[in-house]
Amino acid sequence: MIRVERLSREYGSVKAVDRLDFEIGRGEIVGFLGPNGAGKTTTMRMLTTYLPPSSGRANLAGHDVLDEPLEVRRKVGYLPENVPLYPEMRVREFLDFRAKLKDVPRSRRQAAVDGVIEQCKLKEVEDRIVGNLSKGFRQRVGLAEAMVHDPDILILDEPTAGLDPIQVREVRSLIKMLGSKHTVLLSTHIMPEVEAVCGRVIVIVHGRIALDEDLQKLKLENSIEIEIRGSAEGARKSLASAQGVTKVQELRRDGDSTTFEVQTRDGADMREFLAKRVQESGFGLRRLDRRRSTLEDRFVEAVRAATLSQAKESAEGDAKRR
Amino acid sequence: MRHVFILFKRELGAYFLGPMAYLILVCFQVIAWLNFWMLVDMMSDPTALTALSGTSDPLNRYISESMGFWIAMLVAIPALTMRLFAEERRSGTIETVLTSPVTETEIVLAKWLAAVVMYLSLLAPFYLYLPFLVYFGKYSLDYGPIVSLSLTLVTAGMMFTAIGVFFSSTTKNQIVAAIATFVTLFVLIVMLGMAHEQALAARREELAEALRYLSVLYQLHWSAAGRLDLRFLALHLSVATIALYLTSKQLRFGRDV
Repeated sequence: MIRVERLSREYGSVKAVDRLDFEIGRGEIVGFLGPNGAGKTTTMRMLTTYLPPSSGRANLAGHDVLDEPLEVRRKVGYLPENVPLYPEMRVREFLDFRAKLKDVPRSRRQAAVDGVIEQCKLKEVEDRIVGNLSKGFRQRVGLAEAMVHDPDILILDEPTAGLDPIQVREVRSLIKMLGSKHTVLLSTHIMPEVEAVCGRVIVIVHGRIALDEDLQKLKLENSIEIEIRGSAEGARKSLASAQGVTKVQELRRDGDSTTFEVQTRDGADMREFLAKRVQESGFGLRRLDRRRSTLEDRFVEAVRAATLSQAKESAEGDAKRR
Repeated sequence: MRHVFILFKRELGAYFLGPMAYLILVCFQVIAWLNFWMLVDMMSDPTALTALSGTSDPLNRYISESMGFWIAMLVAIPALTMRLFAEERRSGTIETVLTSPVTETEIVLAKWLAAVVMYLSLLAPFYLYLPFLVYFGKYSLDYGPIVSLSLTLVTAGMMFTAIGVFFSSTTKNQIVAAIATFVTLFVLIVMLGMAHEQALAARREELAEALRYLSVLYQLHWSAAGRLDLRFLALHLSVATIALYLTSKQLRFGRDV
């Protein structure tokens, strides 16, 4: 559905987006993460044809952003970051206007507008003036606007920013539902949101991809944290020799107790087995916990690694220039 | 081009959802009424009528040489056009417009047409009073000068609004757009005429002649006397076309990042 090849965008000498490569299939919900200024909005603007790329290609629903921008726009629904709307229009009037502009045929227009009003729960405000609506409603009007022409692809720039927890939950479930029919690319800063909604995550740092992974796979990377009293060396041996354990790592030592991180094959949950083994070997078991490698950890890790490697690269570049 | 009408309707609606359009319309209505009063006053005075010859004909007194009309126009056109793009750029709605399946040309044309219609509605009050001269004053109107003045006023308005649209597309700040438009119109309407006088005083005839033809005030003056010069119309429409072309280029290449 979305295919991006070596997509780059420069602002003067600043590389906002630097040779991005990724592919998103039909029906995927992809979380687009990155620290502020990483190039998320710029990438989204290039995908929606608002900004032309400096180099590289982007193909959405079979159309190139540079060769057939109008076709791309017909296939893409876009919710920009701060949800720009016309404050003087009424909700239904605005959606109707946007539907006309997006070439929704007259015979289907009424149904399309009714549909998104229903989906985004805007019935109670459909005759109110957009400028007088609360932030939550405005966000939903923006979302309704993005999907009024039933696009194949939805590109949402921070769709839950500024909403209260209940509205966040509603918008998330709406996006999840949309994922069954549409391909969704959404940017956010909220990690639990990605875990709750997305099937895949792409992290970009300084305009480059730092991590592109299935969330399902990320979830498998679980480990067990275990705190044992007694000889650290002995305990480690005892844990490492257990069947199914792939790696034992000492995390910290506190007096006569030591905390280990134990990784198991395929992320299997071996807590009972390990507890039994520790006790049978004569050690004291003080704590046993399943440790999730959270998305947040992976995010921070990826950002750090990317920043380091890029700093190294630029240092090398400087050295070469000298 | 089918989107032009959809965008045009929204643009025209937006004018009337704020107070600006009403204020300007009332202002022009008052000016038309005052000018009409002075016109009637003058025509019913037989001694004044003899002085009306050559360039100081009634139509020029009524519209194209009226101070009130031009001062109001110099304020009204920037006020009507400053919003068109600057507001969308500031609020970010330009991003949603430019990511809909609409071309830049369609957007520019729609906004410009809305401004032209607003401009024409400012002129309407002046025409509203003319039938009274015929039916109640039993005055026989000479339709030639009215037609030639109207045509020139329309094309001049197309040029003015196109200039306003262009400046509005260059900035996020409506005030900047308004001032730039005002200055340009001031040069076209007032300064060129003054420069013509200066050139004449300095005995630079060719220059004076060129400046005279460029001055909008002179062009309208000429048309109001019943002399329709198609070169003026061509000039107005060319400037309008160039301004609109530049606006669409500005929209394509001058996007906010």
